[in-house]
Amino acid sequence: MGTATTVAPGRSERAVRRSFVTNIIDSERALGYLLVAPVVVLLLALVAYPFFVAVGYAVTDRTLADKGVFIGLENFELLWENQIYRQTLANTFIFTAGSVTIRLILGVGLALLLNESFRFRRAVRAAILLPWIVPTVLGTMAWLWLFNPNFSVLNYILVNTGLMATGFNWLTDPDLALFSVLLVNAWRGVPFMAITVLAGLQAIPQDLYDASSIDGAGKFQRFRYVTLPLVMPVLLTALVLSIIWTFSDFGIVYGLTKGGPMNATHVLATLSYQTGLASGNIGEGAAISLTMLPVLLVLIIWQLRRIRRSTAM
Amino acid sequence: MTQDRRQARVTRRKLLAGAAAAPVLTSGLATPAIAQGTLKGSKLTILAGNWYVPETNTMLDQLAADVARDTGMEIRVERFAGDELQTKTASVIGSGRGADLAVGVEFDTYVYASKLNDVTDLADEIGRTYGGWMDAAKATSVVGGRWKSLPIGQAPAAWNWRTDMFRAAGIDTFPDTFAGLLDAAKKLHAKGTPIGMTLGKATGDGRSTNYPVLWAFGGKEFEADGRTVAINSPGTLAAVEWYKEIYQHFIPGTTAWLDPDNNQAFLAGKISATVNVNTIYLASRTAAATDPARKLIVDNMEHGQWPSGPAGRFACYNVNVWLPFASSPNKAGQREFLKAWFSRGFLPRWTKVGQSYFIPQLAGFDAEDVWPTDPKLRIFRDLNKINRLPGYAGPPSPAAAEAVNKFILVDMFAKACTGQLTPRDAVAWAEKEYAQIVRRRTRT
Repeated sequence: MGTATTVAPGRSERAVRRSFVTNIIDSERALGYLLVAPVVVLLLALVAYPFFVAVGYAVTDRTLADKGVFIGLENFELLWENQIYRQTLANTFIFTAGSVTIRLILGVGLALLLNESFRFRRAVRAAILLPWIVPTVLGTMAWLWLFNPNFSVLNYILVNTGLMATGFNWLTDPDLALFSVLLVNAWRGVPFMAITVLAGLQAIPQDLYDASSIDGAGKFQRFRYVTLPLVMPVLLTALVLSIIWTFSDFGIVYGLTKGGPMNATHVLATLSYQTGLASGNIGEGAAISLTMLPVLLVLIIWQLRRIRRSTAM
Repeated sequence: MTQDRRQARVTRRKLLAGAAAAPVLTSGLATPAIAQGTLKGSKLTILAGNWYVPETNTMLDQLAADVARDTGMEIRVERFAGDELQTKTASVIGSGRGADLAVGVEFDTYVYASKLNDVTDLADEIGRTYGGWMDAAKATSVVGGRWKSLPIGQAPAAWNWRTDMFRAAGIDTFPDTFAGLLDAAKKLHAKGTPIGMTLGKATGDGRSTNYPVLWAFGGKEFEADGRTVAINSPGTLAAVEWYKEIYQHFIPGTTAWLDPDNNQAFLAGKISATVNVNTIYLASRTAAATDPARKLIVDNMEHGQWPSGPAGRFACYNVNVWLPFASSPNKAGQREFLKAWFSRGFLPRWTKVGQSYFIPQLAGFDAEDVWPTDPKLRIFRDLNKINRLPGYAGPPSPAAAEAVNKFILVDMFAKACTGQLTPRDAVAWAEKEYAQIVRRRTRT
């Protein structure tokens, strides 16, 4: 029977190890990779892996109960032939464009107001954030009561103040329903836009305003030639993020209308859920989700290039 | 402990006592062979929603506690609101993790058949115990000749109608024909008490309200093979045209109605009739003692059956089933819980507590002491006999399930009612949608 011996690392071995660790720490390049590694691993696990799984599903006829077979681009071809999908795609663009426009106008307006000095400014700034802070479901439930087909609080006010005879069909009329859901989405997104732009506004040195005033610039000119150019980088970032978030929104639409009436408010995220999870057609559901990709990809690449340019300057 | 909770408590002794007293009992369900503690240390996770009759949820929780105590299993009931249960079930099916049993709906069995355990032996035993399964139960749960789920029951939907409002419009009884219902809707609308039928994306009411109309006029989604789309027919067109006409006399807003909206409108006295299960009445009856408005509803409402159309009288009820996930590592635990659920000591009492909310699709239940004595609920015993599942004239199928989930039939009616499409174009639209669903589902 042999014997087992444990030998403690000798001085020279420890020295070699230490020098290896020291080398890594001393090497800027190696240390950089080491520090970035956790983020890369997280991104691979939480973003890249699900993304490639979704791409894999989209080219199969997979259901929740069956792995399915490879069918190439057939899911996408069938989608394009489908009226509900085409309507949903159009809805998604209108929903995004409408909501982001409202966010932009109200967000910038609010930021300009909040940048001024007035009493309770801090309290107002905090209050402005409420729609952004409140959980989506809670906010949506509140709006559901405001728009409710039977008991709309908004209609109650409109009718009882004599402004209208019957009120609006907020969620019943297909066009108005789409407007209603995009309005709620905008309500939720305005605080983000306002606070982000406000941060940009506060970073503008007062000297520039003083100098432009001395040069005879009025309020509008100061806004046009000082404020806008300097706040533009922040504004564009907030805008791109808003577009991305709105384009892929699910909770507000599902909570208010589930895509109805008659699919008038279906957006890609809700149709994808209805197809992939509710109906179990996971391949087609993934394909619907992936059709968001081209739009989002263009925006993301543009944004990344802009960020790279600004950091290179 | 309240009276209800005492009633809900199921012990091993009570199970056995119930078995001894059971006249139709012939099988091992009466004496479930759960050796004390044989499942000790194992875990069982059950996914459930919230049934609208609260006592039925309490009884499920109590049963889980009792089975846990008797077997040594750790049983956990996870509850999900509304459609979240469907999402959670889908994630368990997809990932193979997260639960052992779930309350599902009628379509889940054939959508997920390959991921569910074969419970044919249990189904046979339950069938023998309670006088045999009804055809609707077999249609719901048998896939490829094997039982892949166990039906909990169906929830008969009736016409909930206000006798006082109908009388004020000169109508004494609920109409027995679709022409009569249209005529009544006109009169009620003129009196300012319109009716309302759900035409929105309501998971439960959308189905139970709209499929009976299609069938009553002779329309159907599929031929008997389940693959040939048959929606474009004179029967469907007649149904759509009838709907378009009656819609003009509805309360505004029904195309946006989700499941709670018709209940709320009825309870608020805004409508004189709608299609619903017994929960409007039960909720009103409970509140009537302290709320005069609810007492008014209780005193002046009745339940009526669907009118008869040119092709007959039909109904479409929501069905709940137990889904035994094949991915469960605790198959023995699944079976023990299911045996306890369907035991004579539990199932009849659970059914009685629901007062015809969910009724097991077992022929012997017609003779059981489970039916409510309240005269306003008596009709549900008869309504329980006429359920038909979406997908008719074909068998239930994933294609039929997808059409339901995508609200194709509801939207067909809604598009015609609102004038977005002509009745003929609405039917053609639906035909195209059905054809695409079948094409996807049957690609080889």
